[in-house]
Amino acid sequence: MIKGIIAAAQKYKLTMNAIFTAVFIASGLIMCATSPQSFISSLLSGADTAARTALTLFCVYSVWMGLSRVAEDAGINAFIAKKLQPLCTKFFKTKSVSGGQYAAMNVTCNLLGLGGAATPFGVKAIKRFDAEGNMYGRNMLFIINAASVQIIPSTVISMRAAYGSADPADVFLPALIATAVCTGGAVLAYALLSKLCRP
Amino acid sequence: MSAVIPAVFVAVFIAAAAKKVNVFSSFAAGAGEGIKFTVSLLPMLAAVFMMCELFENSGLADALARALGPVLGFFGIPQELAKLALIKPFSGSGSLTLLTDVFSRYGADSYVSRCAATIYASSETVFYVFAVYFAGTDRRGRALPLAVVIISSALGTVLACALCRVL
Repeated sequence: MIKGIIAAAQKYKLTMNAIFTAVFIASGLIMCATSPQSFISSLLSGADTAARTALTLFCVYSVWMGLSRVAEDAGINAFIAKKLQPLCTKFFKTKSVSGGQYAAMNVTCNLLGLGGAATPFGVKAIKRFDAEGNMYGRNMLFIINAASVQIIPSTVISMRAAYGSADPADVFLPALIATAVCTGGAVLAYALLSKLCRP
Repeated sequence: MSAVIPAVFVAVFIAAAAKKVNVFSSFAAGAGEGIKFTVSLLPMLAAVFMMCELFENSGLADALARALGPVLGFFGIPQELAKLALIKPFSGSGSLTLLTDVFSRYGADSYVSRCAATIYASSETVFYVFAVYFAGTDRRGRALPLAVVIISSALGTVLACALCRVL
């Protein structure tokens, strides 16, 4: 299970590896010709920005992960997942009880903006759906996760606050509308297309 | 709208206190996970930031923005966000890097920054999710959902920029 996730993440790193290597080599070649003296200073200033950003991120994550742990210990996640489970069973057209439960936990964590916590539940639900030959449910769960359903974009709001925004939460509404339209559109499109494409 | 965030905190804390959860130690434990998470992110951040700096200083970034600017402009996406829009589907740490770069360069309240924030918040690292979620499952029937998500994310980016203009 965990090994599967790690292996997949490793495969994915190959894409990033290709981008990283290509950009690095291309930029390096250009700089050899144009401004070789600024090569090392560019790298150092990149590392410097990384260290600064990590500090900001640590502040952001400690606030939100602190809150999410309190919510989890208060049973709020489990409560929402329980309410969502019948809906999920229907929505993903699954017969598997545990599959529906995992999917409900996955959707709950996503809604609460806990992307990291959502992943293991999502992968378990997908495995269940796949095992029962439920391609519709499997693909639908992927779409919901890839289209990013999220009520509060906590990271973005906190980062804006850290960079001195006067009203960091004013992106809340546009982000919510964009996510809702985008996710809803993807779900509808797939529901229609999967019917049309069925042999 | 800004009251949403404090309201969420207060609601969660009240619910937790009612359940007799030790709020202080729960919160501290969560914050501790935040440290671990940041540390696990740091190597990637360092590498991506170095790449971005080279990309910028070699003039490649300008060339790319010039090449793609008109296309993105047609869809209402500011050309300063070309890199963010392109890297977002591939890399979470990469797009986070570019987001903070936009914030510090243009100020957190500029139109460009609000667009960047909305794009970042309303989309996911599609290819990463694809790789992790579909690992070891039946290979058939994966192309359609991937295509649907890629198209909807692209439209979502356009929509995000349009919304930031009016809201």
